[in-house]
Amino acid sequence: MEAVSENTYHDRIVIRLIQFSVLWAVAGMLAGVYISAELIWPGLDFGQFWLSFGRLRPLHTNGIIFGFGVSALMATAFYSVQRTSHVPLFAPKLAWFICYGWQIIVLLGGLSLLAGWNTTKEYAELEWPFDIAIAVLWVSFGIVFFGTIATRKIKPIYISNWFYGALIIVIAMLHIVNNLAIPVTIDKSYSIYAGAQDAVVQWWYGHNAVGFLLTGGFLGMVYYFLPKHAERPIWSYRLSVVAFWAFAYTYIWAGPHHLHYNSVPEWVQSLAMVMSVVLLAPSWATMINGIMTVSSAWEKLRTDPALKFIVLSLAFYGLATFEGPMMSIRSVNVVSHFTDWTIGHVHSGALGWNAMITYGTFYFMVPRLVGRELHSVRLANIHFALALAGTLLYIVAMWAAGVSQGLLWLSVDQLGELSFGFRDIMASMTPYYLLRLVAGLIFLTGTFLMTYNLFMTLKGQHATKVTVPAVNPAYGV
Amino acid sequence: MGSGIYSFLLLKAFYKPFEAFTELAKVDPSPISIIFRYSLWLMLLPPVFSLIGAANFGWRLGANEPLMMGPNSLILISVGYFFVLLFGLVTTAIISCWMAGTYGASESLGRHFALITIVAQPLAIASIAHLFPDVLVNVLILIPTLIWSMYLLYKGIPIALDTPPERGMLMASSLVGWLLVAAVSLLGISMALWTMGVGPLLGV
Repeated sequence: MEAVSENTYHDRIVIRLIQFSVLWAVAGMLAGVYISAELIWPGLDFGQFWLSFGRLRPLHTNGIIFGFGVSALMATAFYSVQRTSHVPLFAPKLAWFICYGWQIIVLLGGLSLLAGWNTTKEYAELEWPFDIAIAVLWVSFGIVFFGTIATRKIKPIYISNWFYGALIIVIAMLHIVNNLAIPVTIDKSYSIYAGAQDAVVQWWYGHNAVGFLLTGGFLGMVYYFLPKHAERPIWSYRLSVVAFWAFAYTYIWAGPHHLHYNSVPEWVQSLAMVMSVVLLAPSWATMINGIMTVSSAWEKLRTDPALKFIVLSLAFYGLATFEGPMMSIRSVNVVSHFTDWTIGHVHSGALGWNAMITYGTFYFMVPRLVGRELHSVRLANIHFALALAGTLLYIVAMWAAGVSQGLLWLSVDQLGELSFGFRDIMASMTPYYLLRLVAGLIFLTGTFLMTYNLFMTLKGQHATKVTVPAVNPAYGV
Repeated sequence: MGSGIYSFLLLKAFYKPFEAFTELAKVDPSPISIIFRYSLWLMLLPPVFSLIGAANFGWRLGANEPLMMGPNSLILISVGYFFVLLFGLVTTAIISCWMAGTYGASESLGRHFALITIVAQPLAIASIAHLFPDVLVNVLILIPTLIWSMYLLYKGIPIALDTPPERGMLMASSLVGWLLVAAVSLLGISMALWTMGVGPLLGV
């Protein structure tokens, strides 16, 4: 499949995963823009079930998280684990199987969501046949990743690999435990957990998917690509290790903050709230580590458009990891829960942090993978401005909408009756949703520019053959 | 001291911000004098506009009727608003001065106060939108102003604080990080206080 010697990194697979990731980014964001328009003009579903908000919304989230996000994580994990282990990928054929197998799951899974197959568990909507396939592929991902580390030629295991490793292990655990179910037909199963227990397990999964996939996995990306970009070692390696263990220990408790004021014991809610607030410390330790690393490498900004994305992603990471703990406090949550504030929070993470760091990383990797300059630095700079504007507008629109909703929902008149009906409040949201639609379109336009830019950079090129460098004997295995 | 940067305060810095930044780079003004001759007066504008607007029209959060608040609540909100703005300005200037060491920028506190006020000035003036306290109208006017202010921040730091544009860009991004966190803290603290029964009655 790939003509590489034993001493050359497997980079063709990395390029292919980047291409799929960009494809899913465009598809997922298009779906997002479409459903945001449906919230303004509900008739846009044209009476078709498969075009309805309820079916397109999980397509949007799954497409972005599992299509765009996971493909990008696989690409960057494969790229960096080879280079930090000084060895080509372990079991490259299995890696190719993962690459294509994952895309088939995302494609067919997406179609199954459109057909109405749905477990009704948020971010775990795919039905049992897909869950089994995901488990098989995820374990294969672990075999390739940990196999590469096991055969490494260099003794230390670099910090980015700890984060990618945690991503693989924890997501496997969460996915398998949360999706244990009794199949009834090919398209329907029932969770083995009942009632409030099901909810606790689901949010243990849901929040830690955010934690270990959208945070931990992408932190792996930061820890490898930021120092590479900046051509500086990480500001404090010790801080990164402390932050890793604090992060891994604390995150796992935070899930039930999604269930405040619900029928789960109050101590469970309080514990989740306290752990969520504690989580701020390791999150900000990483942010400071990143900002300080790049602050000494400012000359690089003159020549490297991608570094800007990474700098800004850290600012949004700081925002999202501050906002999250704050929203987990019960007296804030009573206003913010079930409002668009939550949607704004998710997107300050998803657009400002995940997408920006991935874009910055792709702009860094793609020219190096094919050994040529980026097609257009100017387009990348325009993309940066669009991404920043789109994200900010999105967040501000959702803050305004969310706070309005929260206050209006809590309003009661002198007789103790609700002052406003749900329908009236939703009807008054149109202007904010229009702003959000504009924000989404701006962000999507930037993504289109990047797609074109990366396509032109890759066009007609082959992966450069990179030979494994010699290991300094002081660090050899 | 009599001329220079002071001739740009109060109004000239609004329509000639870049000249004000250049002037600022030449001086080391006293923070106290910047606050009293410049910042404080601008910070008064948003609370005054919102007091007048809310007293006459009530806040429109979007749904049918505007929320009419009693005078005590309105004054409490306005005074609170003023102190929050002042707190925001002072902390941002101090944090900016603290960050300056990392980014090789000038560490003159007075310059930071003046810089942050020049950046915030368009927002303070655009708060005239508070005279008609409809959330959407305010969002539509304040968002473009916010973009302009952010542009001033990114462009102003290297000019006013003598640092290369690239280091200025990093410093501005760090400050944006702080400002986003401050904004969301303000949201969270207000919500928590309201739900705990501290603060103004929303007329509901």
